[in-house]
Amino acid sequence: MSTATWLLPHLINGVALGLLFALIALGFMLIIGVMEVINLAHGSIFALGAYVALAIMAPDGGLPFAFMEPFYALPAWPRYAIALVVAPILVGAACMLLELCLRPTYGKDPLYGLLLTFGAALVIEEMIRVVWGSSEYYLPIPRDISGGFIFADLIYSTYRIYAAIFACAMIALLWFFLNRTPYGAVIKAGAHDNEMVRALGFNLSRLRLLVFAFGAGLAAIAGIIMAPIWGVRPVVGIDAVIPAFVIIVLGGVGSFWGAVTAGVLVGLAVALTAAFVPDWSMISMYLLLLAVVTFRPRGIAGRASILER
Amino acid sequence: MTKKTSLMSAISRRSLLRAGVAGGAAGAAFFGPFKHNRVLAQSEKPIKIGLTMDASGMYANSGQSERRGAIMAIEEFNDNGGVLGRPIEHVWYDTETTPQTGTRVAERMITRDNVHFMMGAIQSGVANAISQVAQKYGCIYLNTNSSSPTEAGENCHRVKFVFDGNGENFTRATSKNAIETFGPRWLIIYSDYVWGQDTKDATREVATSYGAEIMDEVPVPVGTRDFSGFLLRIQQAKPDVVATAIGGDDYKVLRQQVRDMGLEDQIAWVGNQQDWPDIYGLGTDAAFGVFGTTFYHYLDLPGVPEFVAKYKARYPETRVDVPGNVFHQGYMAAREMLRVIEEVGSTDNIKLIKAMEGRRFAAEDRLQHFDAVMDPNSHHLQQTIYLATGNDAPRDDTDYFKILAQAKPEEVRSEAEAMCNLESYEDTPSYDQG
Repeated sequence: MSTATWLLPHLINGVALGLLFALIALGFMLIIGVMEVINLAHGSIFALGAYVALAIMAPDGGLPFAFMEPFYALPAWPRYAIALVVAPILVGAACMLLELCLRPTYGKDPLYGLLLTFGAALVIEEMIRVVWGSSEYYLPIPRDISGGFIFADLIYSTYRIYAAIFACAMIALLWFFLNRTPYGAVIKAGAHDNEMVRALGFNLSRLRLLVFAFGAGLAAIAGIIMAPIWGVRPVVGIDAVIPAFVIIVLGGVGSFWGAVTAGVLVGLAVALTAAFVPDWSMISMYLLLLAVVTFRPRGIAGRASILER
Repeated sequence: MTKKTSLMSAISRRSLLRAGVAGGAAGAAFFGPFKHNRVLAQSEKPIKIGLTMDASGMYANSGQSERRGAIMAIEEFNDNGGVLGRPIEHVWYDTETTPQTGTRVAERMITRDNVHFMMGAIQSGVANAISQVAQKYGCIYLNTNSSSPTEAGENCHRVKFVFDGNGENFTRATSKNAIETFGPRWLIIYSDYVWGQDTKDATREVATSYGAEIMDEVPVPVGTRDFSGFLLRIQQAKPDVVATAIGGDDYKVLRQQVRDMGLEDQIAWVGNQQDWPDIYGLGTDAAFGVFGTTFYHYLDLPGVPEFVAKYKARYPETRVDVPGNVFHQGYMAAREMLRVIEEVGSTDNIKLIKAMEGRRFAAEDRLQHFDAVMDPNSHHLQQTIYLATGNDAPRDDTDYFKILAQAKPEEVRSEAEAMCNLESYEDTPSYDQG
């Protein structure tokens, strides 16, 4: 087997993984870019999304509501699609409460917001533990996107390819929303100059509330998409928030394409080290971060932030 | 400042001394004579057990499972009048699957909580950290569920008793059979910490002694959440057998991703030990390959259904509906130590250690196929090891495993125990909390 033949599956895998990392970081990027809040509860919201989807989809998902019995009898696809839409809306709406709690911290030392979201992360994780317990759950997915397929004598995960395509679609949709809709223009303007947006007659408080809910909804979507890969357990949020943070710093805070590029780079770093030097696979993303910020302290695309234009 | 001056003038040193002497005399008259008082207090003083078990980190679920086991044993003794006529209490701190926390917890339990003995640990690094503190003070420590061969090998201690089967035991139970069934070309994938590394070494030695060729050894960092790169590498290597030594949450994730890719039937997987809390809840099709265990709730043995019923009655609220191997070890270890205290009639550490060394545990009492023995030279419990696989015909939602065979303790004995050099009794500090 030639080196190229050997390497190609790992490169494909790295890009797919990178797109998933980018998906995880999108909501984090939006909140930090627009509201200048490092939302340490992002991981817990990610986990909450997976749990709410589980409760919607599966009768054994911890909350077997009797009134949902007819719904549980539906085929997997409609249940999955409904969970993918409803769970992020519910989580986003619930997280509006967190934004209300954050309001007194705006314009003050960023440490206050950081501490508040850290506390919120602990509260959400414990709430999950109280409601669903500490044990592992498995989010069922439609049969069409589960299992593996053979390509070039190797077995690949069908779901992972689906998840990567879904991540691409979400990235494109978010970009379209931010760049081609009036709502996106207001959000970008809010990120650039809050006072100017207020002076133009927009309700800044409501804008922040909606952006936070939107970011939380994106985190919930990422949680649902990653659930069949990472599993569903209360601490799964920690697995999400750390790469999300690394990707945002690596890509340049507030930069949309910086985050996407950083996600793909992190994915490639993790996948290639897993193939060549497996014991370095966990640390590879941090080494990449170190290497980049040493030479570009604002990250890969820190200057070209779409939210700073 | 004014307030301070007035207080000082109000309570002079002389009046304070007078009050102290008077109070002491009154106390002596009321509580004396001292000797009798001490005996009375001791007869009522509880036996205190320190539970060093994880509630967070990658072994949180297993830590809580063994905690439930220990508590059920303690409650049974208390319901029957305690031990030596004294009630049994327990204190528990989360050891966080972190060796440093294990050290802090052990220090606190011994020096501040004055526990009579300690028990618990899933991760071998944590167990080793706790046992070093325990040996320093002479406090008996029951390692219930961490299964690195070094725990009863080079890291053995006079005060430590290891109750779980170790990685080498399980490898011996599975290797010969797997080589004959699947082939000799092996790849080992292991958690990159003490248990995984030691189990990998043991797997290599045992498998090669049976004729296997180790093609590759793949370390997996603890906390890995994406195994896709590892799984591609494994496929490219085309081994006959993949031997795994990955535990806790990492193993759950690996299993999920293997199942997601449909690789469970494409590759012959030989696991080490499959801990029950690491698989329960994932569905009866979650187990694949062959692996070892020390207990299963559907073992066809007298006493097992009653044990399961007792568990269900005590823990109706837990999501793990039936007891697994981790719970079983927690329960059995606590029960045996309390029995030994009762038999010896003392809480003196050396007397208890001597009573535990070489102690035989009847098979029907331990709910296993063969008698178990606490090896006096390594302090490792020699016990039945079961070879199991996923159950393709489950009788209910809890029936994940199909038990294929059971190995006698002497058939799977760990050679790593030859490295054990226990401290002498003289070098072990005397420890008795009264």
